[in-house]
Amino acid sequence: MFDMDPGDELALVAETARQLAAEELTPREREAEATHEVGGRLRATYHEIGLAGLELPESAGGAGLGSVARVLVNEELAAGDVGAALALDPLGPALYPWLEMGGDLAPLAEVAERRAGRALLVMASEARVQVDAGRVALEAAWVPAEHAEAVVVLAGEHATLVTEGIAIRPLPGSGLRAAGAGELQIDAAASVVLEDAQGAARARARARLYTASLMLGVMRASCEFSQAYAQQREAFGKPIAHHQALAFLITDMRMALDAARLLVHEAAWRLDAGLPAQVEAASALAQCIEAGRSIGPDGVQILGGHGFMADYPVEKQMRELRVLGLLYGGFDAAVEEAGRRLGTRETPLALAPVEER
Amino acid sequence: MEFSVDPAARDRLAELREWGEKEVRPVGLEADRAGCPIPVGHPFFDRCLARGDGRTRWPGPGRKPAGPRMSIVTQLLLAEEFAYWDRGVMIATPGPGLPEQSVLGLGTEEQKERFLGPFLEPDRPRWACFAMTEPGAGSDAAAIQTTARRDRDGWILNGAKCFIGSASRSDWILVQATLDPSKGRKAQRAFFVPQGTPGLGPFKIEKKMGLKAYESTSFSLDDVRVPGAYLLGGDGPREHTAGFKAAMQTFNAGRPVIAANAVGIARAALDEALRYARAHELLGRARVRDRIEAMARKVRMARLVCLRAGQLADQQRANIVEASMSKALAAQVAQEATSEGLEILGLAGGRGDELIEKLYRDAKAMDIVEGTGQIQRMIIARKLVGLPR
Repeated sequence: MFDMDPGDELALVAETARQLAAEELTPREREAEATHEVGGRLRATYHEIGLAGLELPESAGGAGLGSVARVLVNEELAAGDVGAALALDPLGPALYPWLEMGGDLAPLAEVAERRAGRALLVMASEARVQVDAGRVALEAAWVPAEHAEAVVVLAGEHATLVTEGIAIRPLPGSGLRAAGAGELQIDAAASVVLEDAQGAARARARARLYTASLMLGVMRASCEFSQAYAQQREAFGKPIAHHQALAFLITDMRMALDAARLLVHEAAWRLDAGLPAQVEAASALAQCIEAGRSIGPDGVQILGGHGFMADYPVEKQMRELRVLGLLYGGFDAAVEEAGRRLGTRETPLALAPVEER
Repeated sequence: MEFSVDPAARDRLAELREWGEKEVRPVGLEADRAGCPIPVGHPFFDRCLARGDGRTRWPGPGRKPAGPRMSIVTQLLLAEEFAYWDRGVMIATPGPGLPEQSVLGLGTEEQKERFLGPFLEPDRPRWACFAMTEPGAGSDAAAIQTTARRDRDGWILNGAKCFIGSASRSDWILVQATLDPSKGRKAQRAFFVPQGTPGLGPFKIEKKMGLKAYESTSFSLDDVRVPGAYLLGGDGPREHTAGFKAAMQTFNAGRPVIAANAVGIARAALDEALRYARAHELLGRARVRDRIEAMARKVRMARLVCLRAGQLADQQRANIVEASMSKALAAQVAQEATSEGLEILGLAGGRGDELIEKLYRDAKAMDIVEGTGQIQRMIIARKLVGLPR
C-alpha cells in the first residue's frame, strides 16, 4: 500500500537540498526578500548540484526523478527560504502538463538550462483566461515572479504553452518576494496546445504536491523556530513552553505538520507508483493549507510581540504560508476536485490492502 | 516507510470484513437499541468461539509461541476494520482481553497456566478484564486508592473500581492496587481476583451514551482476600517492578489500537454519509461534497498517523510521540467525521435510528479511554519541550 522509504539515493538528494537551505538560503532570506532576487552565485550552485532539472527526464537533460524526490527536496528548500526555492526552480510545476500530457519538452528544457530562466504554470481557475483560435489572452492578479520565458496554462483537459507576449508588471508582493511578485498579462499566439484529460489531472495533482511540499517546509521551520524560542523564553518563572496552554499549542502544531506530511508523501508515492492520486494530492494540499492557516499564525503567537517583528522569521512564514495556499486554485479548487471524484466512489476510503488486492 | 501487508493478513482483513457485515454490525445495532450489553448467553458469542475468537495467544504449558506474531501494522488494520463495523462489539468479544499482554509479559508460568489456560480451548465464552480506573482516579492512574495489604501468605484488597469492561462476566479481574497510597506508582501492584471471591462486588452495569454492546461496570472490593501467588509476577524479586509497569505496558500497546478504532468509526461515518448523500441526491451540492472531502481527508490522515506509530513499533523504534499523536488525532477526527456526517443527514440525524447518530455517540469515548486527548498532549509535550510532570 504505502512505501515511503526514500532509499539511499533520494535521502542523499534531500540531504543535499537541506545543506543548501541551511548554508545558503536561510542566512540570506531577508536580503532576498528585500531585493526580490536570489543572486547569480546561488543560481549557479543550484544548477551545478543538479536540482534545476530534478524531474526533467534524463532524455531532456534532467535527473528524471519523480514526485517523492520533489516533495523531499521542496520541504528542505522551503524550510530554508521558500521564496528562494521558487526563484531557483526554473520550471516549477510548469513542467507537469508537458510531462504528463506528452508535449515536446525541448522549449522547457531550454528554459531550465538558463541560469535565471523561469517558466510559470497558471491554472484557469486562478486567472481570467481566453483561448480562441490559437490566441491566448490571460490576466493573473499575482504570480511569484517578475519575469518568465514561458507560461503554461492548464484549463480543464487542455494545456497551452505560451513563449511570447508575456508581460509581468512588478508588485510589492505579500510573500515569496525572493521569487519576485508581479501581475501577469498575456496576449499572444499559443505556441502549442495539448489535450489529454488524464494527463491534465495528473499534472494538477503534481502541481498541488509541489505547493503542498513547499508548505511543509515553511510549517516545519515555523514549528521548529517557535518551539525552540518557547523553551528559552521565560515568563512567570519558567519557560513559556512549560505553561500548558503553549505546550498544547506546540503539540498541536507538530501534530498538524506530521499528519499533513504523511498525506503529501502518500500522494507522491502513489503518483510515482502510477496509481490514481488526484484525490490524494488534492486532499494533501487542502490539508497543508488548513494546517498552514493555523501553524503560521500560531508560530507568531508563541513569540508574542517579537513574533510580529521582522527580526524573527515567523511573521514571514505566516505570510508566505498563506499566499502559497492561494496558488494553483488553492483550497477551493483542490477540495472541489477531490469532492467530485470521491462522490463517484462507492466506498471512498476502503481499507487499501483489501481494495487493491 | 512501508505499510504493506502480506497475503495472509489480507485474507484476515477480508474475512473480518465479511464477519463484520454479517454479524458484528447487526448485533451492535441490536445492543444499541436494547440499551444494554450483549447478554452473556447470546448466540453471537458462540459464533465468536466457533470462528476461533476468544482464545489466548499463550501457546500452553511448556510450549514456545508458534511462529512470529502478526505485525502491529496488521493488527491496527484489523482493529480499524473491526471498529468500522462496531467498536463496542469488538470490546464485547470474549477472550482474555486487555490484561492478556501483561500476563504474558510479567506473569509467572503458573499464573499463565491458571489464568490463561482456560482460554486455550474455551468450553464456553470466557472473559477477563483489567481494573485500573476508580471513581477518583481516571487519567491520573498513579492516584488510585484501592489498597492491598499483606495478610499472612495472602493479600487483602479494599477499594472501588469503575467503568471496567466486562467485569461482571469475567472469570477473573486483574486489579490494580496500591501497597501505600502515599507512594504513587511505585507502590502499585496487580492482583488476580477470581470471579466469586468473597467481598468482590456487587457489580453495577453502567448506562452509557454509546458503545452499548459491551458492559462498563463498577464494583467494590470489600476485604477481598487472594493468595500470595495471585500477585502478578509472583511474590519473588520481580514483585517490585511488576505493578505500575504492568499497567503502563497495557496502555502503551493500546494507544494506536484505540486510534485505529477511531479511524474505523470515522470511516464508517464517511461511507454512511456518502451513501445517504447519494441516495438523497445531495452530491450536486458543493457544500455536501466539501464535507465528504474533508471527512475523507481527515480519515486518511488519521489512518496514516496511526499506521506510522504501528510501523515504528514493528521496527522496535521509539514511538511514544507518534503513539500519543495517533490517539489524540484519530479520536478528534472520529468526532469531527461523525458530526459532519450528521450535518449531511440534516433532520434525519435527529431521528435516533440512523447509523451515523450511533457512531457520533460511540466516537466520543475514543478521546477519553486509555488516556484522554489532553493526557496524550502532555505526553507529547514532555518529549517535545520537556514539559515537567
